[in-house]
Amino acid sequence: MTNSIGELQDADVFLVTGSNTTETHPQIARNILQGVDQGAQLIVIDPRKTDLAKQAHIHLALRPGTDIALINAMMRIIIDENLADELFISMRTENYEALRDFLFRLDLDEIAAITGIELKTIRDAACIYARSSKSVICYCLGVTQHCCGTDNVQTVANLAMLTGNVEKEHGGVDPLRGQNNVQGACDMAALPAVLPGYQAITNLDTCTRFREVWKREIPQNPGLSLTEMTHAGADGNIRAMFIMGENPVLSDPHLKQVEKTLTNLDFLAVSDIFLTETASLAHVVFPAASFAEKNGTITNSERRVQLCQQAINPIGNCRPDGEIIMELGRRLGCPGMDFQSQAEVMEEISLLTPIYGGMHYDRLQENWGLQWPCWNRDHPGTKFLHKYYFSRGKGQFTVTRHQEPAERTEKHYPFTLLTGRGSYHHYHTATMTRNSTRLVREYPEALLEISKEDCTKLHLADGDLVELNSRRGKVRVKTQITDRVQPGTVFTSFHFWEVPINQLTVDAMDPRSKCPEFKVCAVDLKKVCHD
Amino acid sequence: MIDLRELILPKDQLLPFLRKLKKESRLIAPVQNNYGDTLFTEIDDLDAVKIDLCHQPQASLKPFLLPQQEILASYRSDNKGYRFYEPEEEEDTIYFGVRSCDLTAVLYTDLVFSQPVKDSSYYKRRNQSTIITIGCNQPFSNCFCEATESGPYLEYGYDLQLIDIGEAYFVSAGRSKGADILDKWSYFFRSVEKEDREKRYQLLLEVRGKFNKNIQVSHACRLLQEHEVEEQIWQQLSSRCYDCGGCAYVCPTCTCFSVDDTPIDSNKGLRLRSWDACTSAGFTRMTGGHNPVDRRQHALKRRFLHKLKFDFAEHGKPSCTGCGRCIDICFGGVDITSFIRLLVKGERA
Amino acid sequence: MQDVMTICNYCGCGCGVYLRVNQNRVVGSYPSKNHPITQGNLCSKGWHLHEFIHSHNRLTEPLLRKNGQLQEVSWDEALDFTASSLQQTKQDHGADAIGVLASAKCSNEENYLLQKLTRAGLGTNNIDHCARL
Repeated sequence: MTNSIGELQDADVFLVTGSNTTETHPQIARNILQGVDQGAQLIVIDPRKTDLAKQAHIHLALRPGTDIALINAMMRIIIDENLADELFISMRTENYEALRDFLFRLDLDEIAAITGIELKTIRDAACIYARSSKSVICYCLGVTQHCCGTDNVQTVANLAMLTGNVEKEHGGVDPLRGQNNVQGACDMAALPAVLPGYQAITNLDTCTRFREVWKREIPQNPGLSLTEMTHAGADGNIRAMFIMGENPVLSDPHLKQVEKTLTNLDFLAVSDIFLTETASLAHVVFPAASFAEKNGTITNSERRVQLCQQAINPIGNCRPDGEIIMELGRRLGCPGMDFQSQAEVMEEISLLTPIYGGMHYDRLQENWGLQWPCWNRDHPGTKFLHKYYFSRGKGQFTVTRHQEPAERTEKHYPFTLLTGRGSYHHYHTATMTRNSTRLVREYPEALLEISKEDCTKLHLADGDLVELNSRRGKVRVKTQITDRVQPGTVFTSFHFWEVPINQLTVDAMDPRSKCPEFKVCAVDLKKVCHD
Repeated sequence: MIDLRELILPKDQLLPFLRKLKKESRLIAPVQNNYGDTLFTEIDDLDAVKIDLCHQPQASLKPFLLPQQEILASYRSDNKGYRFYEPEEEEDTIYFGVRSCDLTAVLYTDLVFSQPVKDSSYYKRRNQSTIITIGCNQPFSNCFCEATESGPYLEYGYDLQLIDIGEAYFVSAGRSKGADILDKWSYFFRSVEKEDREKRYQLLLEVRGKFNKNIQVSHACRLLQEHEVEEQIWQQLSSRCYDCGGCAYVCPTCTCFSVDDTPIDSNKGLRLRSWDACTSAGFTRMTGGHNPVDRRQHALKRRFLHKLKFDFAEHGKPSCTGCGRCIDICFGGVDITSFIRLLVKGERA
Repeated sequence: MQDVMTICNYCGCGCGVYLRVNQNRVVGSYPSKNHPITQGNLCSKGWHLHEFIHSHNRLTEPLLRKNGQLQEVSWDEALDFTASSLQQTKQDHGADAIGVLASAKCSNEENYLLQKLTRAGLGTNNIDHCARL
């Protein structure tokens, strides 16, 4: 996020796209709703009528996968209505002319047809967004989990820059990070192409610095991404894997391929708190301590590094992951694997990671954590990003064009399947929430959200078991008739191993971000007759 | 009700008095911790903590008397069958600095857990407890005890009640337990003068004025006895309920719980009782999947009607004690006082 | 009973939560009012944060596959076997035949250590996590 969560409620306009915020980021939704109660306008772009969409002043229920077309139309309208922030554009951005020329060639009626939204509604939304100088865009995986995910993000950025709604306290573009420490895992370079703090692995000075501290050469050939590792199949290049606290067998697209890859490895070690679907395939399983049994820091969506404190001793014979890694490191002859405390690890992190330069345990203890970039001990942290300059200098407008999703509906697969997190009570592959009595009771099994119209057409009742087919696989799931989905689309979550929905999803991905297209695939469904 | 004893505790004698109390039993008081949060906390070292009588404790006494999760029994199985073990006995505990609304809630909870049979687990803790309240001279942001007749000062129910009259506390003993404490530590106290009594009376009038937020709870309760609430109001409220259960969890009078047996390993296990919330769908779902209540329409109906309609019919008093915590914690901004105002306004329209 | 301040383990909001601890058992979760994000509110998952910690499904002993079955072994055996297997793969197929997945559920320190081990110890950049999923 470029903004902080707490400053959201003072915005005048919220544009939420591809985020089921009340379920996935409750605190952000709370701030948005508080803003709405104080008079702010809320625009939601989502094919589903989520709980937040129900509170929206304008809900743009677009056809899945048409985000770029929709936002391009909004920008064209903003320019036509003379609502673009010309001063900001000329001072702080570049390549505007190319975008403008492209937008002028758009046929707005055609876009209305592509997106399935009336032009007047698009116009209203565009004007509301552009007229305010305190407009915030929140987006989540509904924007990124597409083949054109990077372009989607770029389009969102174009819209914000066009109206000057960036780099200020109550305006900006806020990607919402899903997991408690997905931000931190990225910051710490659990990524194939960078070193901690997003420092390029190809930068010689950086490598020299790391070599000095780590006492080892830094490998120069770029690594493989998660999907490249887990989708290589039986004869991939990866022969051994160590997986810490992840469950790719359930979370990755096109699951059968993942399972095939993992079962054909020479060696697989998994460290987790439960015997997950992935762990049960492993040669070695380490019992890890849960968050309540160890110290450490995590970084939230607004880049705030916060301390987690140990509440109880590890259960049974469990050990914290950090200890397991250091034990392995020592056995593998890796130097610098003898840290006495998490605070000592953080000292090395702050030494090598400029954006974490001022993160020290004593400071984190005092201040509800610190938001990066925090360059040194005296730096107060950064509440909102891009205050005086974008990280690359001037903001760059990039022309993006609508592209159809990798898979379209057709006669044999007439429905569009959307996937995501599906309730207030579950989380990701539900390894934790399904071990929580109350949460299981509230949402005990997977449900397929389907419209009343489609159910009538297919002679289905609420709670009927249906078989859902795509070109890649099939699962059985119970229906839930709801007004949340439009006719022609169905939705289900990936929480339940009994309904491994990612056996159906496409493994097409964005060529740049490698983000898989979870949000759109073509399916058919038929009622399962009990025999 | 006539108090058993009334004495004056000079403010500088409060800490010495508490120190004596702590010697004889567990002491739990509102403590402002290093994070600035005020929570009832078990005190190890009186000199190391900051007892906070200025802020509303974020939780009531419920986490202590009816814990979020408690072990009702543990069991073990062997070749002779199952054997059950009850948890250990509770210690004597003094709760200091309890607000009037929260004590009113304890008295209500006593009633709930005494019928039809006494809940042994609850009463084990309750019988060991001594409650010392402090009257409120300032309302907190969302509270409205004046309207629910559960504050700012109390007439009965406390073991001891402290009222801040400036340089001292006016202390009343409402029960023999409290009177015994005063007798035992009488040397910290001085007797009540006429002007102390006047001060306390004057203060009560002033404070009542401050607390009057014109929320007509009793009137709304009576309306509910006679009229159905419009469907549209329930739906509107439910559309803002995000199913966190927080309103029921922070409510000092919400007593719903559920019991689960959880194994520890193949021959050991625990019987746990945990907080539950009637706002959740699973609370009323029946075997076979049918649910008599549609959460999406009626998420808050049971909670509001229980507090304001049914309990009023049964006890002549709502079971909302006006602490305002459910307003503080609601994700969707649902506010029981707005509901009450809506009811009263609807009647006038 | 003791309240220990920690950060919720679920979503990216990062709520400050008190874990209520009684005799080495986490028996409750309660929101912090002063925390800048939480402000006294928790969602359904946050209010039940304590429940999975003591689940009987938790792994409590290291496991090693022997004759096709995962069996309980000592930490040393599990760690030694892992280290030698990774070493073997590196010898036979090179460091880039090893892949490592870090976790968006683990701490910064743990992710840092794991990528350090991967790069400096194993000698490959094959490390990623589920940021995109």
